[in-house]
Amino acid sequence: MKHLWLVTLLAGAALAAGKDRPAEVNVNERYTVEAVSVSGVAESKVSKGLREDLQKLVGEKFSQQKVTELIKRLQKGFPNRAVSQKVSRGLKPEHVKLVLVVARRIDLNADFSATKAHYHSKQGWTGELSVSPGGLGANNRFSFGILSNADDLLERFAGLRAGYERLKLGTDRVRLAFQFESYHQIWNRSTLDELKSSPDVPGIYRTRQNSEPALTFLLANPLKLTVGASFQRFQTQFPAARTEAANAVIATLRYDRQLEDSAANRHRLEAGYGLRAVTRTLDSDFVYARHTWDLRYRFRRGDNRLEVQFVSGVISGRAPLFERFVLGNSQTLRGWSKFDVAPLGASRMAHNSLEYRYKIFRVVYDAGAAWDRGQHADPKHSLGVGLRRHEFSLLVAFPVRAGRAEPMFIAGMNF
Amino acid sequence: MGARAQILGGCLLAGFPVWAQSLVVRLSNDHLRVSAPGLRFVAGKPLERLHDGAPVAFAFQLSLSIDAHATILLRDIQRFVMSYDLWEEKFSILKLGHPRSSVSHLSAEGAEAWCLEALALPASGLASEKPFWMKLEGRMEDAREPAGLENEGSVSLSRLIELFSRRTRAEQTRWAAVAGPLRLAGLKKSSVRAPGAQ
Repeated sequence: MKHLWLVTLLAGAALAAGKDRPAEVNVNERYTVEAVSVSGVAESKVSKGLREDLQKLVGEKFSQQKVTELIKRLQKGFPNRAVSQKVSRGLKPEHVKLVLVVARRIDLNADFSATKAHYHSKQGWTGELSVSPGGLGANNRFSFGILSNADDLLERFAGLRAGYERLKLGTDRVRLAFQFESYHQIWNRSTLDELKSSPDVPGIYRTRQNSEPALTFLLANPLKLTVGASFQRFQTQFPAARTEAANAVIATLRYDRQLEDSAANRHRLEAGYGLRAVTRTLDSDFVYARHTWDLRYRFRRGDNRLEVQFVSGVISGRAPLFERFVLGNSQTLRGWSKFDVAPLGASRMAHNSLEYRYKIFRVVYDAGAAWDRGQHADPKHSLGVGLRRHEFSLLVAFPVRAGRAEPMFIAGMNF
Repeated sequence: MGARAQILGGCLLAGFPVWAQSLVVRLSNDHLRVSAPGLRFVAGKPLERLHDGAPVAFAFQLSLSIDAHATILLRDIQRFVMSYDLWEEKFSILKLGHPRSSVSHLSAEGAEAWCLEALALPASGLASEKPFWMKLEGRMEDAREPAGLENEGSVSLSRLIELFSRRTRAEQTRWAAVAGPLRLAGLKKSSVRAPGAQ
């Protein structure tokens, strides 16, 4: 808790200034710590060393200075979240229980955050500003955001996003979420030109809305399953203006495990599988299935960090443009333009990236291919160097190819 | 401009988000001391933190002016760290600076009174019939405004004055109470009473 270190400093200075022993900064320092715990985050996300130091407090007299130091260490691990202490009476007389609470940082009654803002020298600006009103109880979360995104899909989509999340539905293991999105689109000339010679690919649309209810089940601690539905409606332009639907059953299975070994090296392994199955049963104009797989491993040893990521996807059937896979943006094949890799996207995709960081310096290598069924995959590579500190990053990336290579410049922040 | 309008204007200029409470001023051993019956600062967010077993730092400034709060003639700034005994359900206070002192086993009202009792301004330089105004300002301290507090023993007066001049951030809590115009001749006299220990 940010106020605590100040209080501790004040008290420490008071001690230094005085000749005899001063009164305790916290009157509860006369009591013995009975139990210590951390709430708001999975225990596995707290470093092993910190967990051990927290447990060392048990059986000792409560020390505000030690608690403040531990709060500062915990805060470092969760820089965007507020950490505070909650001390309560223990079960035994003259004992106290300490809980370090990691919460979302909420200023005033709302949490404003630029969740994504970056500049890409080929794509231009992408930005999203979202607000989560506070005071709705610990289990309810509303969010509202406006955005203009030229990075994730072939189109630039701009509009609003609103969501509701109930973090506990009867039990801590079930969550309910509902999201609504409404966008209008702007298309790149390369995509429009390529569409003329590709009658198999569905055409462009000017507006798109998505309503997505979903339930998330915590199956076992690092494993989560999300099931739900996605009702997408979009207004096509050619051959005639009409509204089409791509209503899907969605399912996602995710694994996220963070470990710390005996040498205090940190490992994080994330893996996921996603399915969007669009069927006529849900009154859809399309029939297809979109499968995605991803695997990410992160390793940290002191100031050295290594990150390896692999993603792949397959679409069976004829899917609209917003479902087609894109490579060559701020996350994949950095150094390439997505309109040079595949101006209409692709129904098959495989991508691998490797990043090494030392302090704020970073080097990245990407390799990937996007292709359609019946075509040969044409792997592409890129290299980049840059800086990264917390959420802020800067990268200059080059495509690895014969002839002239124009660098891509990517700068921005992700929260 | 009337005195009340000047006070209100002064408060608005100082950025008070709350309506200033009234301040009761008395003369005690040639010093001006205050109480603020309507002011409750051990309440709301500070009280919530105290009940969570966390210490809370407060800073108070008592000031005197002879032109309806336009310019400060005298000021006293004191800082305290308060905590709440979870088993005895009583408040303890550590007063920082010189002289350093502490007290325990206080009720919330007793803790508030003890802090205010520590503030005093000398009355020796004031003419008995000349009008003057007094203002009490308090705030729960924000760690994002260090104000040189790291070395509490050598905090300069200018840094503390700066602390009270600054607009607060959203998370801070602040209070104010005002009195005036007052005259020394019209003030109630009392001897120094013991702080609110029970």
